[in-house]
Amino acid sequence: MAESSADETGGENIPRFEPNYLNSQVIHVESFRKLWLDALPPDLYSYETNPEEVEDAKLAELLELPIETLNELKDICSVNSLRSHPDDSPVDQNVVPSDPKLACLRLRKRRQDYRETLVRDTIGRHENYSNELESAHKGLLPEDPTSVIPEGEIILSFNIIYPVIFDRFKHVRAHQTLQVLGSQKLTELRDAICCVGDLQVFGEFSNIPDATPQYISKDHFKSAFFYFEGVFYNDMRYPECRDISETIREWAKTHGFPEYKTAKMEDTTFYELRMKIGYPYYYCHQGDCEHVMVLTDIRLIHPDDCRDRTLYPLLTHKHRVITRKCCVCHLYISRWITTNDRLAPMDPCLFCDKCFRMFHYDAKGNKLYDFQAYVYVDPGVFN
Amino acid sequence: MFQMHKFEEPLKTDLEELLGRFQRTNSVRYEDFSSIWRDMHFDEIFYGTKNQLEQSEFSRMALSAATPYFLPPYSFQIRVGGLYMLYALYHTQRSFPPRRIRMALKDWGDVQAFTQDALNSQHHDVLYILHQLLTIKAFRFTAMQVPLTFSRDQKPVIPEAEVVAEQSSRPKKLVTTEMLEEMANIHEHYKQLKTSVSAKHPEASLNLVRQNLVPKLFNAVVDFSTWQNSQMAGDKDGQPASYEEEPSTSSSLNQQMESSKRAELLASIKSRSYGQVVEVTKSRRHRQGEVCGDTTAGPCEDPGPQLDPARVSLLRRRRRQLNSLKCRTLSCLNETGKQTFLHTFYTVLCLGV
Repeated sequence: MAESSADETGGENIPRFEPNYLNSQVIHVESFRKLWLDALPPDLYSYETNPEEVEDAKLAELLELPIETLNELKDICSVNSLRSHPDDSPVDQNVVPSDPKLACLRLRKRRQDYRETLVRDTIGRHENYSNELESAHKGLLPEDPTSVIPEGEIILSFNIIYPVIFDRFKHVRAHQTLQVLGSQKLTELRDAICCVGDLQVFGEFSNIPDATPQYISKDHFKSAFFYFEGVFYNDMRYPECRDISETIREWAKTHGFPEYKTAKMEDTTFYELRMKIGYPYYYCHQGDCEHVMVLTDIRLIHPDDCRDRTLYPLLTHKHRVITRKCCVCHLYISRWITTNDRLAPMDPCLFCDKCFRMFHYDAKGNKLYDFQAYVYVDPGVFN
Repeated sequence: MFQMHKFEEPLKTDLEELLGRFQRTNSVRYEDFSSIWRDMHFDEIFYGTKNQLEQSEFSRMALSAATPYFLPPYSFQIRVGGLYMLYALYHTQRSFPPRRIRMALKDWGDVQAFTQDALNSQHHDVLYILHQLLTIKAFRFTAMQVPLTFSRDQKPVIPEAEVVAEQSSRPKKLVTTEMLEEMANIHEHYKQLKTSVSAKHPEASLNLVRQNLVPKLFNAVVDFSTWQNSQMAGDKDGQPASYEEEPSTSSSLNQQMESSKRAELLASIKSRSYGQVVEVTKSRRHRQGEVCGDTTAGPCEDPGPQLDPARVSLLRRRRRQLNSLKCRTLSCLNETGKQTFLHTFYTVLCLGV
């Protein structure tokens, strides 16, 4: 073995980089958790912080020092020793100090000076709230004490990338980040992924605009699968679910790929998975709505994290999409899309509900001319 | 949004300067570190971050940039400096709740060994600070040092020091004493077998293999390492090179040698690559590269794959182009006077028409 510690027991489950330095080797999630729990004394990953006296006594015992010497040590190493400004002359921390010597500050100063020259300050409110999702659940305790997550649980963060390519912004990977617990089932993650593909309503409704059915495609087509490390995990919770990975496996068989395995999504927890961190995997639903997903991080739960089991999978990041507005009022988000509409400015054309009715129907609700109308679900509905 | 990645380079420069000054004190005491910290006004590094997102993002970057110095292959003193740096950055950061330090599973063993080292040599302040950080749960126990996203902009995170430390000893690693012994044994065995099989002309069949393979191999490795040593010594202006020595945690003098050597090595690499000009291609004859007189004025680059001279000259070229067209036109206006410029301008216009 090239790695010196790899021959130890469980050494292959210590995540290390693959030679491309982009993703880790394959690890088994449960064994990874075990390795951490074996390596750490329990008070390092518990939620409670010991009172200071207890910790001091512990440290004094470890160092074989009298408490007085320890207190002296504490004074020397106190956080106050790091302040370069005395307490009686406070400085404004929001402004870069004049004549900075650090390279970072020189850069920030340049930016600050530039920003001051701008006539219109471009910083909008949205920047103040941009990490709202991330910080909303920090250290949240559940009301019901039975749903507290046990200490030493594993949290996995998944980036689920939208199946769109922004031509002009190829460096932006529009994604949502979901945190799941190791003990959760794959189906719980599948239900938490929000995609407009699940919300589509099929059919042409220009004759009966009031009678749009309430069934969305998520209710009609329930099959979906994840693909992780050579295994297709199919969602088979309902009788109408089908193994939609079959087509891919058939194709792979005729093209000289190794045989792929299948498993049931509802029977698998994240602990049982063997995955690479940082490696692109695959989620497919609605037959052909395909998402690349990346497991970005695995870690032990920390007191900072949300401790309410019922809130997981937890959405911590969401890419905001610009909503498409009605082409008449340019104000409301579109709900209808029409084709073969001779009075519309373009084909297809988007309308909000109100403008759509005023434009295409008379007061009694009769269709004025011939066109086709479909329900439109805007990708920005989740914003 | 804030183009935070542009802070990576300056952040590294700052941290390395702090560590460099700490190294020159030849001590592992916290008082020395904190006096340097105060002297450099290092807590100001978080000043001027306006909103929460920027604060937390910058804290994340600062902590993750400082973490590698706390881990091997750096020497014990640097690692102590790295630990102090983490402690100081963690407590002076402005983001709330504070950003935590990420600790990868594979590094935890090293941290424990470090604690044992400190315990053996009775560095109480080191132990206190590490204990303090663990008590307030400043660490997050993760799988990897950074979250990985497989982004196409993501540069591979190759630990630079590791590259430097490992390359020199790779042939040695491959050819160990046990391996040589094993090889000699196999050779012996092979010889015996051959002689037993072909009774008539054992020499003829034995001539197919090299007779003294093992000593030859050993000599080659020794030759290579002496050559490498002399190369290293040449880099440092004739200083005796002791690169083969393992950095031992016990003798502090050795570590300082080791670490200051690295700085000197960096400087020498830099001066060499800035000191030479590359022949540019035919199409770029009019843009020949020049040598800058001042070596310190160059852009602060890592020693590594980027340091090939073609890239340096490219950088220089880019720097020269910094002035915009408008700027250049205006300066041209100032130099030649408005009248002449307008005259040329009109002439050009007329010709164009």
